[in-house]
Amino acid sequence: MTDAYETDGTAESGGDGSLLMRDGLIRRAGELLSVGVLLLVIGAVGFIAVTQVNTELLTTVFPQFVEAFWLVVRIVAVASLLSVTLGVLVGLARISRSPVTGRIAKGYVEFFRGTPLLFQLFLIFFGVPRLWPAGSTNFPVADWAVPAAVIGLTLNHAAYVGEAIRGGIDAVPDGQMEAARSLGMSRVMALREIVLPQAWRNALAAIGNDQIILVKDTSLLTVIAVPEIMSVFRDVNSLRLDPWTPLVWVCLFYLAITLSMSQLVNALERRADPTGQSRRGQMAALLRRAGGRGDGE
Amino acid sequence: MSARPLVEYDAVDKSFGETQVLRSVDLQVEDGEVVVVVGPSGSGKSTLLRCANRLEEVQGGELRVAGDPVTGPDADVNRIRRRVGMVFQSFNLFPHMTAIENVAVGPERVLGCAREDAEQRAYDLLDRVGVADQATSHPEELSGGQQQRVAIARALAMDPQVMLFDEVTSALDPELVGEVLDVMRDLARDGMTMLVVTHEMGFAREVGDRIVLMSDGRIVEQAAPEPFFESPSTRRGQQFLSRLL
Ligand SMILES: Nc1ncnc2c1ncn2[C@@H]1O[C@H](COP(=O)(O)OP(=O)(O)O)[C@@H](O)[C@H]1O
Ligand SMILES: [Mg+2]
Repeated sequence: MTDAYETDGTAESGGDGSLLMRDGLIRRAGELLSVGVLLLVIGAVGFIAVTQVNTELLTTVFPQFVEAFWLVVRIVAVASLLSVTLGVLVGLARISRSPVTGRIAKGYVEFFRGTPLLFQLFLIFFGVPRLWPAGSTNFPVADWAVPAAVIGLTLNHAAYVGEAIRGGIDAVPDGQMEAARSLGMSRVMALREIVLPQAWRNALAAIGNDQIILVKDTSLLTVIAVPEIMSVFRDVNSLRLDPWTPLVWVCLFYLAITLSMSQLVNALERRADPTGQSRRGQMAALLRRAGGRGDGE
Repeated sequence: MSARPLVEYDAVDKSFGETQVLRSVDLQVEDGEVVVVVGPSGSGKSTLLRCANRLEEVQGGELRVAGDPVTGPDADVNRIRRRVGMVFQSFNLFPHMTAIENVAVGPERVLGCAREDAEQRAYDLLDRVGVADQATSHPEELSGGQQQRVAIARALAMDPQVMLFDEVTSALDPELVGEVLDVMRDLARDGMTMLVVTHEMGFAREVGDRIVLMSDGRIVEQAAPEPFFESPSTRRGQQFLSRLL
C-alpha cells in the first residue's frame, strides 16, 4: 500500500520539465485571454456610456427604480424566509420513514421543479381568483399581484431548497444518527440536535445559489402586473425609446440585491463553520464556567 | 446486585435479507466482566454489539440488559440505550459541537440535567480520559486518539451499566492506539462491564476476563485468556491463533 503510494508520488513530482513549462505557458495564455476580455468589456461599457446613456434621464427615472427596488427587496425578503422554512419541511418530509409523506413531498418537488415558474405564477394569479364561487370580482384580496408573487416564488423555491436540504441530510454519515440514537435520543431529537445542523451546513451553498435565482426570478413578476424593476424598464423604454439608460439602473439594482444576498450567505456559512470565529468567545466562556474548578488551582 | 448477568443473549438470530449474520448466539456478560470478542472480518462481531442496544433488530431469540428486554414490543429502547454506552470504530463525534458539548449533550438533552451540571460533569470526564485541555476544540481539530477518548467520555456521560467497544482503535495511527487502550484499561480496572471487539490481542489477553471467538455468525469458542491463547480447545480456535502468528 505504502509502496504504491510513494511510487505514484515520485512519478508525478519527478516528471520531466516540459510538463512544468507547458503549465506555465497555459497560465500565461489564460492571463492574456482574460485580460483581453476585460479590456474589451471596459471598452464596450465606456463606448455605451458615452454614446447611449442619457445622464439626464438617468436622474429622472431614478426614483421610479428606487420604488421598484424596494418592492422587490420586500418580496424577496418574505419569499426567501418562507421558501427556506417550507423547504426545510419539504426536505424533512422527503426523508420521512412514512412512504405517504415521502411520496407526497416527492410529488410536490417534481411538480414545482418540473413546470415553469411563469406557469405557476399564472396559475396563482389568474387561476386561483376564478375559483371563488361568485366570480372573480368577489375575490377577497383586492391587490392580488404581490401576494400571488410571494406565494408563487415561495412554492417554487421551497422545492429547490427542499432538495438541497435532503441532499444535505443524505451527506451526513449514518454514524451520526447511530451515535445520537445510542445516547438514547429519539429520532426526532437526533434529527434536530445532530443531523439537521450538519445538513444545514452542507446545504447552505446550494440554498444560497437558489435564493440568488429567486432574486432574479422576480423579473418574471412583470407579467402579473407587479411594478418591479423590469416593468419600470419597459415603461421607460417604450416611452422614451431609450433602452440603454434604464438598463444601467436595472443592472445596478439587481446586483445590489444579489450581491447582498451572497454576502448574507457567506456570513451564514461562516457562522455554520464549527471552528468559526464567532463561536470562539462563546466557547471560551463555556470552558471558564465548566472548568472553573480545574482552572482555579 | 442480583446474580443475573448484565447482558444476556439467548439464542439470538439476525439476518440482513437472505444472509444470516448471527446464528443462535448465546452469550452472558456478568456485572463487572470484560468480554473480548475476536474473530475474522465479517464474522458478525459488530452486529453482535449493535444488537445489544438495538441499532439492529434481531429476528429471533431474546436479548436482555440488566434484566430488561432489549427486543420485542415491551422494550423501552431509549431507556436501554441510556444504560448501554457505545464507542464506534469511526468515533462518530458530532462535528458541529466542541468536545465538551459532545460529552454534555446526552446528559443535557436526554437525561434533562441542568446545563451547568452537564458541563461540569463533561469536563470531569474529559479530564478522566486526558483531553480536558481540548474541551473547547472541535473534533476536526483533534487527533484520532483524542477524538476516540472524547467519544468514550461521551458514552460514559450517560452513566451506562455496560460499555460496547467496536474496534475502537482500528482507525487510529499505530502510535495513537496506546492512549485509547490505556483509557479502556482504566475503565476495566474501575469495574466497568465491557463488551469489546478488538484485534489488539495483547489488550485482549491482559484486560479480558473472557475471550469469545466468533466465526460465521456463531460463537465457536469461549475461554479465559490464558487457556484461549495457550491451548485453544477447538479447531477454529487453533486456526485463529495460527493465523495470528
Ligand atoms: N447493514 C447491513 N446490511 C447487509 N449486510 C450487512 C450489514 N451489516 C453487516 N452485514 C453483513 O453481515 C456480516 C457480518 O458483519 P459484521 O457484523 O460487520 O462483521 P464483523 O464486525 O465481524 O466484521 C457481513 O457479511 C456483512 O457483510
Ligand atoms: Mg466490525
